[in-house]
Amino acid sequence: MDFAASLSLVAPEILLSTAGLVLLLVAAWAGDGASRAISIASVAVLAACAFMVAPALCSGAMGPDTVAFSGQFRADAFASFAKLLIYAAGGAALIVAPAFFERVHAMRAEYPVLILFAVLGMGLMVSASDLLTLYIGLELNSLAAYVLAAFLRDDERSAEAGLKYFVLGALASGILLFGMSLTYGFTGTTSFEGIRAALSGTISMGALFGAIFMLAGLSFKIAAVPFHMWTPDVYEGAPTPVTTFFATAPKVAAVALSMRVTLDAFGGQVAAWQQIVIFAALASVIVGALGAIGQTNIKRLLAYSSINNVGFILIGLAAATPQGASAMLVYLAIYIAMSVGGFVAVLMLKDADGAPVEGIAEIAGLSRHRKVLAACLAMVMFSLAGIPPLFGFWGKFVVFQAAVQAGLVPLAAIGIAASVIGAFYYLKVVKVMYFDEPANVAVGKSDWAHQALLAIAALFISPLGYLLTRWLGALADKAAAALFLAA
Amino acid sequence: MIGIEHYVVVSSILFVLGVLGIFLNRKNVIVILMAIELILLAVNINLVAFSAFLNDLTGQIFAMFVLTVAAGEAAIGLAILVIYFRDRGSIAVDDVNRMKG
Amino acid sequence: MVDLSQYLPILIFLAIAQGLSAAFVFLPIGVAYLTGAHKPDAEKLSEYECGFPAFEDPRSQFDVRFYLVAILFIIFDLEAAFLFPWAVSLDVTGWPGWITMMIFLAELVIGFAYAWKKGALEWE
Repeated sequence: MDFAASLSLVAPEILLSTAGLVLLLVAAWAGDGASRAISIASVAVLAACAFMVAPALCSGAMGPDTVAFSGQFRADAFASFAKLLIYAAGGAALIVAPAFFERVHAMRAEYPVLILFAVLGMGLMVSASDLLTLYIGLELNSLAAYVLAAFLRDDERSAEAGLKYFVLGALASGILLFGMSLTYGFTGTTSFEGIRAALSGTISMGALFGAIFMLAGLSFKIAAVPFHMWTPDVYEGAPTPVTTFFATAPKVAAVALSMRVTLDAFGGQVAAWQQIVIFAALASVIVGALGAIGQTNIKRLLAYSSINNVGFILIGLAAATPQGASAMLVYLAIYIAMSVGGFVAVLMLKDADGAPVEGIAEIAGLSRHRKVLAACLAMVMFSLAGIPPLFGFWGKFVVFQAAVQAGLVPLAAIGIAASVIGAFYYLKVVKVMYFDEPANVAVGKSDWAHQALLAIAALFISPLGYLLTRWLGALADKAAAALFLAA
Repeated sequence: MIGIEHYVVVSSILFVLGVLGIFLNRKNVIVILMAIELILLAVNINLVAFSAFLNDLTGQIFAMFVLTVAAGEAAIGLAILVIYFRDRGSIAVDDVNRMKG
Repeated sequence: MVDLSQYLPILIFLAIAQGLSAAFVFLPIGVAYLTGAHKPDAEKLSEYECGFPAFEDPRSQFDVRFYLVAILFIIFDLEAAFLFPWAVSLDVTGWPGWITMMIFLAELVIGFAYAWKKGALEWE
């Protein structure tokens, strides 16, 4: 494949990086006053990139035609599916930001630029077909994310969240990197294809260690138990628009990356990692459900909920079948909508002065004075719990179905049991909103952009979402087929 | 003969020291930054040793990327630390407890 | 068991290095002590430290601006490391390699321009 053809395959990445650099200069010269304009330009760039990657998904692109730069990069249907979700999440994080930051006069023109670079890094992650691309993409995303977490420079919690995220994220990168170096040493190659070919027989001890270290590092990035401890603190401390971003886009990227690494590079050695994934899935589901009980901050609650949901997604990975991969992608798409909905609803909770309200006790009786907001938040909670008429149920259903068909009946059974435990705390929030004495704290007006975004998310997770199941399932099947063809 | 396993042993020791440095250190966040560098250097020893052993350039190129990214990571880490210090007036690890967890 | 005799050259190297560095440190001191004049005053006895007044407690705080300059230096310094492998392999990579490096350098310049505009290079 020649250079020009490779360049055409990375066109969305080129557009993103060019736009990021140009907007960075605009940000420096035009100052913070231009931040709204830069945000709008960034959303437009993301939309353009989405149009650029969509054809590869619709046509189910796969095989050697999608490989660029001698196997460093793969622009197949799987990558396109993940990228579309990432662009959507990035766009949401851009749209909700100005109203939040402008209240504390902290809207800086660099915010959209950082989001663009993080999205670029995540695009590289999901397209990686070589350890080197994987590492560069991961770091580009992480470095931007560390800065975003500490974006409210004068806020102690934000700085602390940035510090914690940095230390644990750098540790995770180190562990992942150590695994990559071992994998390289014991297979003699860094390309996923080469690793797969080199591991066709019995796996050597060194390569096994490499795989385990890589899985540990990736578990950090997707916040799966036992590497989840940073999540609640970072989600609570980071500014809420940034938390919206963290809970969605990096999750998609890291899960998609884990799928590539396990199903493609280590796809010939399922037995070596399957038990680890099963353990991480079960532990995440249970810890996520139990940890959420007793939380008083709604952002921490949603953090535990994201740990819980990652567990369900990993159940699909444990199945190690195309069906499982497809189910994971469907779940991810629904999870993005639920997360964006949940965090945007949190953003809309403001007191009379417009200051953000985060305590669960403070939203007591919300249904009396903010009927629509309370209804949307209740819908998000029910959907996260997987209660049937809502779309969140469908994600859990396809994942369990894939697990059962792969013969993992006990795993699916424990997962269903844990989702019942999990339902408890989601229902608690709904009870507080609807049946407790009104606290009359969250009475502030919300921004129209927040309302619009929440409406879209709520529409997607409402029972109307089921109209999309066939279409979403078909796209996810195409993406999973591309992943398994490469494998 | 000094074989590949010697290098792997050295890098593993450095890696473990780095990880322990992060978790056992209760004093200063700067020490954590150093421990992170130690981990990345352990990885670099691995990569370069494997690269020489396998007669394959990829490992050395990888090591260069790790070096440069590590520099960027350290820069961002220090920048966040400076922000944190301005807010709190301390970089002791025990003080990083504004949120429980 | 690890064959320690393989590490003998390193041991000899370390011994020589220590001997030489000790000589480099102590020889000038000795020579200066024997040949120099001794007229100490307060200025001469104070420690020399570049950029800020010498202080008593070695653990007291640095000016944060030193960190900022060091951060900027290390980034631009290390990115230059890519120039060496690029330069020696330019006959293999050809024009695509040349263009790629020029784009990389242009990106560095953009970063530099941003840092400059933001005032990160100003001392005050």
